[in-house]
Amino acid sequence: MKTKTKKLPRDVWIVMPGLNEEKYVGSVLQKVSAYTPNIIFIDDGSSDATFSEAKKSISHVLRHRVNMGKGAALKTGCDYAFDELGANTVIMMDSDDQHNPAELQSFVKAFASSEAEIVFGTRRLSGDMPGFKRFFNQLASHLVQVLFQSPFIPDIPSGYKALNKKAYKKLRWNALGYQVEMEIACRVSKYRIPFTTITIDTIYHDHDKGMTILNTLDFLHNILWWRITL
Amino acid sequence: MTIFQIISALFALFMMYVVTIHGKKRNLNQVEVWAWSSIWVAFTVVALFPNLLLGITGLLNFARVFDLLIVIAFMILSVVVFMSYFKVRSLEKKLEEVIRSEAITNGKKSNGKK
Repeated sequence: MKTKTKKLPRDVWIVMPGLNEEKYVGSVLQKVSAYTPNIIFIDDGSSDATFSEAKKSISHVLRHRVNMGKGAALKTGCDYAFDELGANTVIMMDSDDQHNPAELQSFVKAFASSEAEIVFGTRRLSGDMPGFKRFFNQLASHLVQVLFQSPFIPDIPSGYKALNKKAYKKLRWNALGYQVEMEIACRVSKYRIPFTTITIDTIYHDHDKGMTILNTLDFLHNILWWRITL
Repeated sequence: MTIFQIISALFALFMMYVVTIHGKKRNLNQVEVWAWSSIWVAFTVVALFPNLLLGITGLLNFARVFDLLIVIAFMILSVVVFMSYFKVRSLEKKLEEVIRSEAITNGKKSNGKK
């Protein structure tokens, strides 16, 4: 028997950036569509058929003519959702099938049950996560906490998070690339934006593009930069 | 004349050639071609006749002309790197604005929004 999935509220939109994901984007969008029709996919300058594949599944597909990076794609998606589609809440997801759409409802519940303006989806730092990633992940969270004298934000690199319009106005980031996750955490800490966390599944696939050690080191250097410039 | 002076002069000549090429391709305007050429002519003169700067090195308490040249070179490099950095940042920001606004405009059109 087919179980009926609970749909998300109408003012909640999913923002999903993607680059060269033609193989998986169709199935990922289909999975998310089971929970909401409100999906915005941003093709960040893909050189394959990602755009046309996404267009087959949903109507709101935006395209960057050249690759600008995850931060720029997320900003395009959020601007479009909040300014053009009247969204009140945006949930950001990666398009590489790492995030479980069944958890979307948990973000909505977290907003309803707290005063939070942003909800971080945090993975359990055990199990499948490689050791060095776990170490740098923890280090980044502690650094942000110490440098900004703020509450601890776990699993900063996780791209599964939700924010409302009020938070977006304060957070609107400058980072163009994957550093966006770190900038969001730094801005939340700096401006004392109320947040909460929910635990999400850790899903690693063979096709993961994940972050390299160099990316992670860049992440850490960026924390210092934002401590000085924010 | 030392080998170092010869290499410096040849390097400056090569850079003047590069400046001329970019001037012809209109990557540099007349003023820029003139300014860069002047720098490399001055570099050549100083490389071939370092004693010309003896007065200045004495005035600034540098032990050798070479030290003075190193300091000047670092100052020029710092200015060039600094200006390039801000130029790149500014271009990146403009590019981002164009790409993102184009994506949003096209998205609105394809979904029947004005």
